[in-house]
Amino acid sequence: MVKHHPPAEFLTEYAAGVLPVAQSACVAAHLSYCQRCRHIVERLEDIGGAHFEQLDPQPVGDSMLDRVLARLDDPEPLRYARNEASDDRLPGLLDRLINGDYADLAWKRVTQSLSISYLKTGDLEHEFALYRIAEGGKIPEHTHGGSEMTLVLSGGFSDEVGEYHPGDFIVREGWDKHTPVALEGEECICLAVLDAPLRFTRLRHRWLNPLIKLNAG
Amino acid sequence: MYASRSDRYLSATWWRKQPRAPRPQHKTVASGTCQRGEGLTSGAKRSSPWVKVRIVPRLPGFFRHFAPLIKAFALSGSSLSATHADELVQEVMLKVWQKAGGFNPEKAAASTWVYTIARNCRTDMFRRLQKFDTPLASDDFELESEEEESFIVLHTRRGSERVRELMGELPPDQAQILAKVYMEGKSHSEAAAELDLPLGTVKSRVRLAIQKLQALMEA
Repeated sequence: MVKHHPPAEFLTEYAAGVLPVAQSACVAAHLSYCQRCRHIVERLEDIGGAHFEQLDPQPVGDSMLDRVLARLDDPEPLRYARNEASDDRLPGLLDRLINGDYADLAWKRVTQSLSISYLKTGDLEHEFALYRIAEGGKIPEHTHGGSEMTLVLSGGFSDEVGEYHPGDFIVREGWDKHTPVALEGEECICLAVLDAPLRFTRLRHRWLNPLIKLNAG
Repeated sequence: MYASRSDRYLSATWWRKQPRAPRPQHKTVASGTCQRGEGLTSGAKRSSPWVKVRIVPRLPGFFRHFAPLIKAFALSGSSLSATHADELVQEVMLKVWQKAGGFNPEKAAASTWVYTIARNCRTDMFRRLQKFDTPLASDDFELESEEEESFIVLHTRRGSERVRELMGELPPDQAQILAKVYMEGKSHSEAAAELDLPLGTVKSRVRLAIQKLQALMEA
């Protein structure tokens, strides 16, 4: 049961189609876990439908109708099938981006218990990355210059505020300090969308900061 | 009675009579159906010839109702040229046609359904025009939704009608911002800049509107 959800403003921007692609992908991945938010998004899309219906109609000629009718037999666009080897529980969208198994990704080791793999979404302002934390492992205390969205994909972690399991969506803003610790028993994989690189706050880890850049794109 | 003008065009006629096309099962996609590349599959299954026989005669009515709205949507926020707006109308109409088998009138209002297709096509068109390079198309964001219990479906359909009623009751300042966000495709911060309002004000107006919605949904 998913307990932590995106704030309404993200769901609204998602339903209106104005959320940047990396954030949008993170919200969509949460929706695949969470029926509550799916229903909210449906209602939020109804706001769009209601506005749409009240737009001032703009004239469209019948010749355009003929053009549409003539194109009905055009071949439909091809769509990607789900990778057969992939994890069933993974949202389809992430499956597309990961394209295979976690093990096939390029993992960059940051500390003994934390590795990061950057995925390409085309979003130039947001980094879209998978964080892999060894069971019981800790991410050293850090802050973010901007905002961070996190979605738990497998395993779980806890921080100063609570405990999170697959499907849980967590937003941290600005200079909130936190120290996530993976739960015992299973390694934790999270999706994190950042608009500024994370910054370690303890002296012992600060030397890593210059090495961590925002990997947007 | 129909909840709206748009529903009248689609009510109890061709949408409902179509058999519900089975959702493509990823697991069962035979590799033989991939024609142009590994892992790609055609969505063509959805429009069987039978569906075409039912839909084609209805398309003109549907087109005359929705095409002018789609064009208005394309032009709102005046970010697309008239040529691109016309192109968008065609793209949306073709998508409607391709997806017709997946539309469930009990789950969503017709206007909402067309709106979501237009929204996705517009996002993709913006990205194409800006040469924005992403591996994701907005269709990829569609959920592989499961079959839902009928009482939930009923609940969501009623919810959709209530949302529409509510929209008429919102104070103008809240309605104005929602229109900017939804129709003109502006983010909260872009809407704030255009209306010369602090971002916090925009966010709180949206939040107020959404809270009313939520209260209604839970009532």
